[in-house]
Amino acid sequence: MTMATALPEGRARTLDQSRLDILEPWLAKEIGATCAKITAAELLTGGAVQENWRIDVAVEGGSHAGAHAWVLRTDAAARLGVSLDRVAEFRCIEAARKAGVAVAEPIAVSADATLIGAPFAIQGFVAGSAQGRRLVRDPGLANFGDALARKLGGELARIHSLRPAAGVLPFLPVPIGNPNRRAVADLRTAIATASEPRPALEYILGWLDKNAPEPKAMTLVHGDFRTGNYMVDQGQLTAILDWEFCHWGDPREDIGWFVARCWRFGNDDKVAGGIAKFAALLEGYNAVASDKIAAAEIPYFEVLAAAKWAAISLLQGDRFVSRGERSIELILTGLMPPEMEFDALEIIEKIIKGQPLSARTT
Amino acid sequence: MAARGKGADALLDLAIETLKAEINPALPADKRYAAAMLANALEIARREVEAAEDAHELTLLDYFYEDGDGTLKQLASDLRKGEISEVGHPDIRERLRAHLVAELKIRNPRFLRSRGVKG
Repeated sequence: MTMATALPEGRARTLDQSRLDILEPWLAKEIGATCAKITAAELLTGGAVQENWRIDVAVEGGSHAGAHAWVLRTDAAARLGVSLDRVAEFRCIEAARKAGVAVAEPIAVSADATLIGAPFAIQGFVAGSAQGRRLVRDPGLANFGDALARKLGGELARIHSLRPAAGVLPFLPVPIGNPNRRAVADLRTAIATASEPRPALEYILGWLDKNAPEPKAMTLVHGDFRTGNYMVDQGQLTAILDWEFCHWGDPREDIGWFVARCWRFGNDDKVAGGIAKFAALLEGYNAVASDKIAAAEIPYFEVLAAAKWAAISLLQGDRFVSRGERSIELILTGLMPPEMEFDALEIIEKIIKGQPLSARTT
Repeated sequence: MAARGKGADALLDLAIETLKAEINPALPADKRYAAAMLANALEIARREVEAAEDAHELTLLDYFYEDGDGTLKQLASDLRKGEISEVGHPDIRERLRAHLVAELKIRNPRFLRSRGVKG
């Protein structure tokens, strides 16, 4: 077997030969094969907390017999408090695939940190790039942007076809009462102990609480459905990524998050994630969804999205301030809340004055 | 304070200039993002040094509290509890927005320009 790409200095290799000797029989058993041989392993990305390895696997026997390119993703050592663990995330991906959502094929998952040093999941290798900043600057966007947004809208509607019912993702708690007010309460709890007081964010959360709309029928909410979290290959969607924030809630939350200004990567006139008009996303959504959504329902959820990202940024900054994690990226992220607060106040002002919002018209 | 501030200004200016003009171009591509973040951090610190101390914070607090009373922590808590609201403070959003603009002038003037506000 061959191995490529060095890990950062001083880091132990996750996939050394001794671990492969353990991984191969485990994998064979998991997928019902007589033998699974890893013939090559290449580190795609190796951050401080998570590694992505491309593995070439020769499988004998069972339904996966043949040669495969798969990706092994180790778990982040420190996940955010609200995120799912690797196994729960994997179950959400499986459910989404059954519902027809474009995801990398889920192959196997292990919660056992002793097997290769960290919990991990194996999924099919998918071509393309998920880099949002690069995508919104792609000159080809003029040709494929609207079609991509329509496709994403359809994918989102398929995710939202999953409803809380007996046996469906039973580990996800079903919120009691209005899930939108629940989301606001969760954000308030999350920032209650933040080291930096944010009066504007408190005002915004108060407004969201008072103005929470009646919820739609509860669905699976992806929780981080945005440009940067889906793979695109030559203008075509290949997979929806990052399912660790899945929860039951109001489906409009995902749309508000997707169109939030902070996820347009500076391509502000393209409201749908910096890639297309809002109408294209909604058209794709409503063509598939059983519960249609109108553009006018979304501005509240744009405010919720801005408040959520402001709260996350604040807490990221606290990892440096209070917990001493030395990272320039954390400090800079921690300085971002006023950007989202500014946007949220602008939308609230327009809602109160009945002025048109970009999301309603473009 | 003015003299110290001025000294810090000059030091930070030099550090930013050197980082951008000499260090960054010589770095391998995979280190340039980190260097750009460092330059950004230094520029924020540079604007922080230059800004008048806490003036915008006091302006905000003076709207809600008797002269000299109140802190941002207090204000955040009073907003959370609903003890401060539009009732009695009709300009609340305008005041909070002005405070955010003042913060963003230091933290990210480019963001303000993208929103049509003079940074």
